[in-house]
Amino acid sequence: MHRTARGLIVPFVIVIGVLLAGAGSARASKKALVEVGFVGVPPPNFQNVLLNVQSVRLNPKASAAPGNGKWQTIPVPPGIGNAGQSADMQIDLNTSQNVPQLFNTANVQANTYQIAELRLDPNNPGSLIPDCPKSATLGGGNTTADGCINYPFQLATGNNPLTVPFPGGLIFPGNGALTQLIFEVSMVVNSPPTVPGGAYTVTITLASPPTNPIEMGTVTGSVNVKTGSSGSSTKIRKLAVTAEAIGTNTPIATAPVKNGNFTLILPAAGGNNASLLGFGTLYDLAVAGGTDTYAAERLLPLYPGQTITVSPAFQVTGSQTLGNITGSISDNCVAKKAIVGATLQLLIPPDSNSAADCFPTIASPDDYLQCVAVATANTDNAGNFPLPGTITIPPEFASVPVQSKSLPNKGAYVMEISAPGYDNLFVYAIPGSSKNGGTCGTDGTTFSACNLALNTGYVSGSIQVERPNPGQTTEVQVFAEDHGTNNIESALPMPVRVTNSNGGTIGYTLNVPTSATVPQGFDLFAATVDNLYQSVSDPNKGQTIAVLSDVPAPAPPSGSGICDTKTANFSGDQTITCVGHGSVTGSVANANLGTSVVLSKQDTDSGNFVAITNTPVQNQSANSNPLNSYSFCAPADIYQVQEWQLPTPDSSAAPSSSPTASPVPDIAAVVIIPTPLSAGGPNPTPTPAINCPTTCENSDGTCPGICNNVIQPLPPTPSPTPTP
Amino acid sequence: MSALGAAMAFSVAACNNQTGFSGSVGNTPNGPPLASYEILGTIGTPFTATVSDSRSSWTLQGVVPLSIVIANNILPAAIVATKTTSNSNLLSVEIITGFRVADVQSTSAPFGTVSVQVGGTLNSIASPASPDLRIFAAGPDQERYSALVEDITTGWVINARAPTLILFDTPDGKVDATFFGGHDFGSFTLDMTLNGAVVATVVHGPDATIREP
Repeated sequence: MHRTARGLIVPFVIVIGVLLAGAGSARASKKALVEVGFVGVPPPNFQNVLLNVQSVRLNPKASAAPGNGKWQTIPVPPGIGNAGQSADMQIDLNTSQNVPQLFNTANVQANTYQIAELRLDPNNPGSLIPDCPKSATLGGGNTTADGCINYPFQLATGNNPLTVPFPGGLIFPGNGALTQLIFEVSMVVNSPPTVPGGAYTVTITLASPPTNPIEMGTVTGSVNVKTGSSGSSTKIRKLAVTAEAIGTNTPIATAPVKNGNFTLILPAAGGNNASLLGFGTLYDLAVAGGTDTYAAERLLPLYPGQTITVSPAFQVTGSQTLGNITGSISDNCVAKKAIVGATLQLLIPPDSNSAADCFPTIASPDDYLQCVAVATANTDNAGNFPLPGTITIPPEFASVPVQSKSLPNKGAYVMEISAPGYDNLFVYAIPGSSKNGGTCGTDGTTFSACNLALNTGYVSGSIQVERPNPGQTTEVQVFAEDHGTNNIESALPMPVRVTNSNGGTIGYTLNVPTSATVPQGFDLFAATVDNLYQSVSDPNKGQTIAVLSDVPAPAPPSGSGICDTKTANFSGDQTITCVGHGSVTGSVANANLGTSVVLSKQDTDSGNFVAITNTPVQNQSANSNPLNSYSFCAPADIYQVQEWQLPTPDSSAAPSSSPTASPVPDIAAVVIIPTPLSAGGPNPTPTPAINCPTTCENSDGTCPGICNNVIQPLPPTPSPTPTP
Repeated sequence: MSALGAAMAFSVAACNNQTGFSGSVGNTPNGPPLASYEILGTIGTPFTATVSDSRSSWTLQGVVPLSIVIANNILPAAIVATKTTSNSNLLSVEIITGFRVADVQSTSAPFGTVSVQVGGTLNSIASPASPDLRIFAAGPDQERYSALVEDITTGWVINARAPTLILFDTPDGKVDATFFGGHDFGSFTLDMTLNGAVVATVVHGPDATIREP
């Protein structure tokens, strides 16, 4: 049995397309909207191909000089930075090979634009993380540079600025219209680093439109605003329609409602081996803003090139009194312990399923999965919510339309509160009009201030960790996921710091949801997270990962502050120790855009495999040169790689909940990543060097050398072939 | 430098050359410019983080966005941040020095981890800060402001955007701070904690001053 909860598992096709996309601030002279996205054509044999994008800009003149005054800039999204500030948005060309990765949507002047420029960070344009080497890579000689670590890149001489001219007109954004601009970003490696830790030299080229099919679709519709009779407010959010990943509050793109209409251009998974139209991407729509009531819809799958017209039109009522919902979230097991970063969502049923009960009951425990989040808030460092809005835009929880008390449950909304390591809580919430407004209750009849507490339980135990050498530290994080899944529920609030003096056996205590939420219990894994490699950060670790399967979930609290703890000691053969890293690469036959690969490690006591991480299958058809590839970097060890699959969405029906991936029987293989040969000596080279490339050091001062790659196709034929 | 920044630099220098910025902690010459650690991405994404310079370290929980500044830091410094949610929200950590991005790392993976460092190689996470003095400054989301944070010997000018967590590494005597938000900023909500306990709270705007008792 798996936990069923809104938004716990996002379909993989969404994951690779999800990034912030928000409408930029409107200006009097900038009334056309341009949505920018990227599809990647990366060089082969890299785990990540990361571009640090600062902005995209457009000019109506193909030969415009850099300082030309008519450049129109699309900056990084609001969550990354504001106009005029130094900020980079990192784009991975590997994960955007099929479905575009949205960058941002912004207002520009209506015009015919003949040239577009991609502006990378001039000081740090990006980085590459290669797979472990299959052959000599350093400077083209007989020496080899390590894989699975970060290398900067520099653009080849003459490869700047990055532009795509089209004298006939690249895009023609018009007043009030939304226009998409999708770049195909191709990178070719000109030369590898010539010294350890050095930079790759690359050439980047742009094309627009992309040469491969654009996997985007359009959602359009109308919002009819019926005049209401209540109050109004001067400081409000503008009425808009937001597309969210199905079953989540994760925004994909937002469109303003102009003259009663809206248009969204969204990533849409195509590919083969699914339905005739492609795989399809699932979205919810949330209508919110102004002084209008909320509305929502759950859509049929969206396919590339398709337009979904929402019908019938959304019906909302304007001139509502806006109220606020404020309060605090605390721990029901520890007095006065605030929960930082809890998420609160107001749920309403979609228009096409208005009878859905968003408040789970014994009779209808899963109906709420059909509901849509129309407003979201988070708690701050003191557990209070909502977080402040901007100067001009109040937070969503400060602009909640007050519903008639004659409605069921006194006109209350259903509010879901979630936090990692805690049971979800559902309450009814009535927005208030005072500064400390808003009341909450669980029965729909009795309401009080929204100071709420979440239930939790504990898993406590010990892990064996090899002592770091004197003067060094290791930070160990413990993760709990639902047993038999790769759905991570929680992690330690702070990693355990291991030093030479406290190494050996370390204790940990983890907050986890109780058996009321996760009756199947948990699988745990522990990994080092202080992944700093010399002078650059390294996303991959050199220490083994410890696993422990089938840990029972603690019981729910038997009273306030009376909470259960389960003991879970990691086995001695799961000692976290320095081994160096390695990589697994391969291809997956018959993959579609719902296919992923999960890397697991076996708990040798129980025999169960514990999922550690997963990756999408990248570069699929209908791309012109599909590879159906996957890759992992992981510490040298024995693992299992297995294909997982999301169900293909039904093209004729909106699903009742977010689909979840499950393992494909028999499409799995055991892989052994060989331990790198030991290198260095009692005094290993202190700078990035061939002799000591990895992220950890042995007790005798030696360290793992150059890492190894293992090629493992799925299904597993032929057998694994280590390439030392 | 913006007009506000220039005005700040002038006013700060003037205060430092008189009786002290707060009027209670003496002459405080300016410290060197500070790096800021920007935790960005999908607004509201929760995370845990360990921040360390070569002398002290701090652990914290928060939500995106958050700016972190270490006053009186000794480089190199690093930050390791882990998303604490299983969704696909973006978590991006940038180090800003001056007006440029010195380093950036991002993750969209469930419970993904990112780490960045600045000023050289930090071989190990330093011991927990003692005393652990923090100032949390909340205000309108993403809105820029300037502040002077000082102990009895040195003042640091900070240009950041709300919300901000200011970590004071090994203060010499008591600490105070004044925040300048500009005329349309609204109010600051300032919390000062010392070794985990709240010792001062101020809600005021568009300027606000908080002092260690």
